[in-house]
Amino acid sequence: MAGITTHVLDNEAGSPGAGMRIDFSVWENGAFKFVRTVHTNNDGRTDGMILKPPDTKVGRYELKFYVAEYYAKQGMDLPDPPFVETVPVRFSVFDTKQHYHVPMLCTPWTCTTYRGS
Amino acid sequence: MSTSDIDRRDFVVTGLAAGAAVGVLAATSGCSQATSMQVAAAGEGRLTLHAIDTYYGQTREGLIIDLSRLEGGEYKLIKSVETVKRGRTAEPLLEGKDVKVGRYELLMHLDDYFAHHKADLPTPQFLSTVAIRFGLYDANQKFHVPILFSPWSYSYYRGS
Repeated sequence: MAGITTHVLDNEAGSPGAGMRIDFSVWENGAFKFVRTVHTNNDGRTDGMILKPPDTKVGRYELKFYVAEYYAKQGMDLPDPPFVETVPVRFSVFDTKQHYHVPMLCTPWTCTTYRGS
Repeated sequence: MSTSDIDRRDFVVTGLAAGAAVGVLAATSGCSQATSMQVAAAGEGRLTLHAIDTYYGQTREGLIIDLSRLEGGEYKLIKSVETVKRGRTAEPLLEGKDVKVGRYELLMHLDDYFAHHKADLPTPQFLSTVAIRFGLYDANQKFHVPILFSPWSYSYYRGS
């Protein structure tokens, strides 16, 4: 499988990060162009792929994770401004035949991303 | 998490009121690192980073990082630094009066770094410039931001 997918893991709660907003953008002409907003489902994934294989081109992409908004919705008392707030994860697709799974592991004080599978 | 936040905040207030003696007490009374690092008097804020290369196992020379602060909706460059001594910087990024509450970005030029060291990576690299964003919410605290990175991953957290 090719294309782009993500998975949010809430490492503060030890569970999938459900209902987190993610803005997806594509690098075009020297700037990230907003494509759409998605929200994670109960499994911390998105219902559809972020980008399906036929639509995936070599280039640069951004997944902006609204981490502080997610924790605030759960009633967590965060500082102002929060330490981890919105996290722009920017990565490149270099081979459209490959799958790019880009997870987000977060707490209000840490975040981690990597090329997963 | 909420409970520890409250404890931490109370402790900071106590520390500010009672001065450095509280800091000594914290260091000797077995307080957790997470609590003792928050103790700082007015004007003692500091911002430092530690960029840790988990690809080579040790940060090499040539890693450029741009520090910016969000002002008027845009991240404005404050300074550009090159890491020294295994991923630290020669001086704190900010200290004293230069530490201001706000939203900051550390832009890590990983593409140039790994190209400089001739890492065998695809083009374009999976990660090129990485924006580490964080909020600095108390100008009197010490904020240490360790960043673990490789060509395929990165992680950052509020350190001590």
